[in-house]
Amino acid sequence: MSFDYSKLPFAIRPDIAEAYREYWGKLAKPGNWWTGEQRVAIADESRRALDCEFCKVRKEALSPYGSDDGHQHGGILSTAAVDAVHRVVTDQNRITRQWIENNDAGDLQKPAYVELVGIVVAMFSIDEFHRALGLDLETLPTPKAGYISRYTPSVLSEDIGFVPTVAPEGAVGEEADLWEGDLSANVIRALTLVPNALRDWRDLSGAQYLSFVEMKNFIQSENRSIDRKQMELIAGRVSSVNECFY
Amino acid sequence: MLRVSAKVTETDIDLAGINGSADAAAQGIEFGDLLMSFAEAVASRALDLADCREALLNAAGSDVLVDAAGVAANFQRMVRIADSIGIPVDDMTTELGQRVRDDLDLTRFASAQNTLNLAERH
Repeated sequence: MSFDYSKLPFAIRPDIAEAYREYWGKLAKPGNWWTGEQRVAIADESRRALDCEFCKVRKEALSPYGSDDGHQHGGILSTAAVDAVHRVVTDQNRITRQWIENNDAGDLQKPAYVELVGIVVAMFSIDEFHRALGLDLETLPTPKAGYISRYTPSVLSEDIGFVPTVAPEGAVGEEADLWEGDLSANVIRALTLVPNALRDWRDLSGAQYLSFVEMKNFIQSENRSIDRKQMELIAGRVSSVNECFY
Repeated sequence: MLRVSAKVTETDIDLAGINGSADAAAQGIEFGDLLMSFAEAVASRALDLADCREALLNAAGSDVLVDAAGVAANFQRMVRIADSIGIPVDDMTTELGQRVRDDLDLTRFASAQNTLNLAERH
């Protein structure tokens, strides 16, 4: 069984292990724009990025856009995809609209980029949880065969960010479950070009942080040992270290 | 969100904890200094992560450590979503938000342009 925390000297909430196991199952299956093999390769690449010498040099460079093909990589993904994975992990706050547009005109179209981002950030957060607690990283799942769907939401907007997103009034039909009521902050809308990417982060976030419903509780959630101020101090410090304006 | 939570609970806090001041992080927040140091060590991949983890575990217990790790991991994801997609801040007009951005000097971050450039266009 994956994410078996039963032998640790301390308890981990069962809903965390369950959310991680569910994500592992979805990671291995074909998505909207990437096959199961490619999705697992993206996950694998996200781990490789942390030790990539090319990324370390580029992180210190005045401009991060001189070259994109010096990464250590696993040999399955295209140069553009490898570069995107590594940037999202190691140099995300210098990603620009122009870079995404250039990729869109080449080997990495926007919907595929959004699904890639969704995989990288989900993987990274699961791995970071393990690193934070001093635990070994989980073995990646075996890819499942099957076809990609190329699904695109029916109502898209270009009012925020570098890619189309589902606007609050666009969450209809297949997208009607994305959020309830007026809870559609930009960070929630960000990945909606690939709705399952938002659903994945919603499920993980509900276990690691708070559900959408509990996000409205600014005091303390029942099944958490830290109150909201403690949570937001952690969130703020992590965001500050990452130099995130949002 | 920290400012909102403090306001709702009528707690005096010092936002400088967000920028790494341990004394400020401890103001009005139980284990605030240890939680801040742990979060910083996770996000910066610091060599003293194990020490920070141990200190938090000893002072606050394993439930707090696990929940803190979950929140830190979650925001390692959130910042990358925000910056990879270039989303702007939802509302730049609130006084509370402006005060927080000023207090923490957030416009020094490169990703501030994703919001400020959009505001200029409108």
